[in-house]
Amino acid sequence: MSHRYLISRLVDLAIVLFGVSAIVFLMIRLIPGDAVAIMLGANTEVTPERIAELEARIGIDKPLLEQYGRWIWGVLQGDLGTSIWTGRPVTQEIAANIWPTVELTLLSILVGAGLSIPLGAFMAEARGKGAEVVVRIGAIAGLTIPSFWLGIVSIFLVSKFLPGVQALGYVPFHQDPLGNLQRMILPVIALSLPMLANLSRLVRSAMLDALSQDYIRTAKAKGAGRRRIIYKHALRNALIPFITSVGVSAGYLLGGAIVVEQVFAIPGLGRLVLGAIAERNYPLVQATILVMTAAFVIVNFVVDMLYSVIDPRVTR
Amino acid sequence: MTLRKLGLGLLASTMLVGAASAATIDVAIDSSPAGLDPHLITAFNSVVIVQSNIYEALTAIDKDLAVVPGLAESWEISADGLTYTFKLHDGVKFHDGTTFDAEDVAASIRRVQSEAIASPLASRVTPITGIEVIDPLTVALTLNAPFAPILSSLSGIAIVPAEVESNAESLQQVPVGTGPFKFVEWQPNGFISLEKNPDYYVAGLPKLDGVKFSFVPESATRQVGITSGEYDLLPGIDPATALQLQGQPNVTVQETRDIAYTLLGMNVSREPFGNPKVREAVNMLLNRQEIIDAALFGMGVPAGPLSPALVNWAVDPSTYACYTTNVDGAKALLAEAGVTTPLKLKLNVLPRQDTRDIAQVVQQQLAAGGIEVELINQEIGQFVQDWRNSNFDLFVSANGGSPDPDEYFYRTFYGGGSTNVFKYDDAEIDTWLDEGRSETDPAARKAIYDKVQAKLACDGPAAHIAYGSLNTAVNNSVKDFVIFPNGRLTSLVNVSVAE
Repeated sequence: MSHRYLISRLVDLAIVLFGVSAIVFLMIRLIPGDAVAIMLGANTEVTPERIAELEARIGIDKPLLEQYGRWIWGVLQGDLGTSIWTGRPVTQEIAANIWPTVELTLLSILVGAGLSIPLGAFMAEARGKGAEVVVRIGAIAGLTIPSFWLGIVSIFLVSKFLPGVQALGYVPFHQDPLGNLQRMILPVIALSLPMLANLSRLVRSAMLDALSQDYIRTAKAKGAGRRRIIYKHALRNALIPFITSVGVSAGYLLGGAIVVEQVFAIPGLGRLVLGAIAERNYPLVQATILVMTAAFVIVNFVVDMLYSVIDPRVTR
Repeated sequence: MTLRKLGLGLLASTMLVGAASAATIDVAIDSSPAGLDPHLITAFNSVVIVQSNIYEALTAIDKDLAVVPGLAESWEISADGLTYTFKLHDGVKFHDGTTFDAEDVAASIRRVQSEAIASPLASRVTPITGIEVIDPLTVALTLNAPFAPILSSLSGIAIVPAEVESNAESLQQVPVGTGPFKFVEWQPNGFISLEKNPDYYVAGLPKLDGVKFSFVPESATRQVGITSGEYDLLPGIDPATALQLQGQPNVTVQETRDIAYTLLGMNVSREPFGNPKVREAVNMLLNRQEIIDAALFGMGVPAGPLSPALVNWAVDPSTYACYTTNVDGAKALLAEAGVTTPLKLKLNVLPRQDTRDIAQVVQQQLAAGGIEVELINQEIGQFVQDWRNSNFDLFVSANGGSPDPDEYFYRTFYGGGSTNVFKYDDAEIDTWLDEGRSETDPAARKAIYDKVQAKLACDGPAAHIAYGSLNTAVNNSVKDFVIFPNGRLTSLVNVSVAE
């Protein structure tokens, strides 16, 4: 991999993050009703002086450009701002909410990507047979069923047929490993299913493609076993589109996590950002979305780097 | 054991480990509180968490909405009705270990009155012109004029430690009161946890070790959570959820009449609502029972200006002539007022399921009389901004209600009143409201508010629609929880959990 390629990708990354920061900053301010209106709610027993004082404290009395400049200058120095609602540094609130999201996303990638390989291989091998058709229909269903619907239905079913099961909320793994896993099962299923469906279809077609190539015929003729042909020869060539796809899907998982966290009452970044939008907690919305975007962009950056390691032609 | 069996075993065991019962209950509410300073908060979720759990006041409100002693064990009212002398409970401590005394009462009232703090509760204590600390356990409040609702008003003024009088920030995050539960932790996106106050001045209380308020925005999630035992209490659930939970074996839905109500607001400063005949016509076009049946699943009663939960004050709404639906009468009134139909107006809708449903039925009913309204489903921020700025023709919304008629009527309908967004200004009403707050004879006071209700019901700026049911779902393991009509969780102090 050339240094030039690396540098050009890093510059892209910086530009994307900068662009996103500006878009997020403007978008949240386009929503009608400012932070002070939401804070005071349906309460008119407030003097205009108090409103002015609150606006000044939050900093929304300044021109937009100045507000943005101050914020971005702070971000560059590692200061993401202060939560309007609680007065705590935004970094603290993000830190308090990041682990459930990280765990949920990692487990979902593990399940979604992990299961997709054997499932995709099975579909390629059993092409056209009854069982394969069933799995394929299941995969299409998995792609089309929205996570929130799946989430709500699954908690209804669990509460009806497995009462006593702790399916909601979050406990850290180190505090209560069993409680943690128990609460993660349904959200991970809801979140990873679309990814599993997508990736297994991808593995299936890549595998079918590979299996029709001459070198597989050669390997077969040399007496290589079924398992060796599939997992060593065919899978290896299916790997590049697979890794790219895992990278992209991982980014989308963050979006899905917002919905799934809401449904399963998991205190993660997704719920943090939804709550912050509802409260017009500008610094918190801006910082959380920036962090989530950075995660998305960095994952894709890493995937690109991996890609160029696997297939050096892409950097040329 | 193969890897697969091991995996299945782990899965099964994690799915089947149930909740161990602990003497802490989990209350699921729909959103995070907006700060915790009892003198600054207005959001319902904030109030429900702090009032009577973390903080207490001189007086309290019981489940019949009557004023009962709180941190003051007794009081005396001077013959002229101007001085209230409170005798405070002995041996009460704040959660930080300092002793509660009359100085704290004085500092708390001064804090609410101070302009620097800008408390939304300030209007409740404006009649108090003198605060005298007589001894550590006696405090006297002097009023500028007799003010009947003062004891009820004081129930909303939390007593905070004197040291924080001028502090506008710290109590928003870390509340320090005298209540049965101490604040432990606030995870903004997740929960607030409280623990038992071991020094609580009432022996044997509270019975619980703690209370956790979980913030669960999804209604379906809360509903499933209580049936699975994840949550113990769901306060203020909507009628549809209440109906579904009524069938669950391990859940009881407690129901009481709500003092909060839904209303159709009219902007008197915009034509044609400046004319009382038009407002009366609107009332005559409404069929409140039909609205309740269609939008509230029959759970509610037609609303007069005061909730029937205020048993000592409310007038039976069936006595108001304009509450009998009469389309022809309404059309005649509109014609008399010089209104040409069809009249096209906009109706702002508070984004809440019940108010949205109500607005749709209202739209249909008004259309029968030639008033064609366009529903504007607003986002909460926009709704509040338009509401505060009186930027509406009509709106459908929900209001909190108050245990004393003065608290609600004065701020809402007095000319220039602090929540008089309707711009209503009626000399007769103003006179009666002034009389009502200074009259201390209960019977004479009731007569005044009867007149106020009769007038507001038909040509007031708000067509009161319905008092719904206040439904609270309670897991059957929770003992002695009682829902109060004001929605407060005051009875948590008596709650225990069955083994």
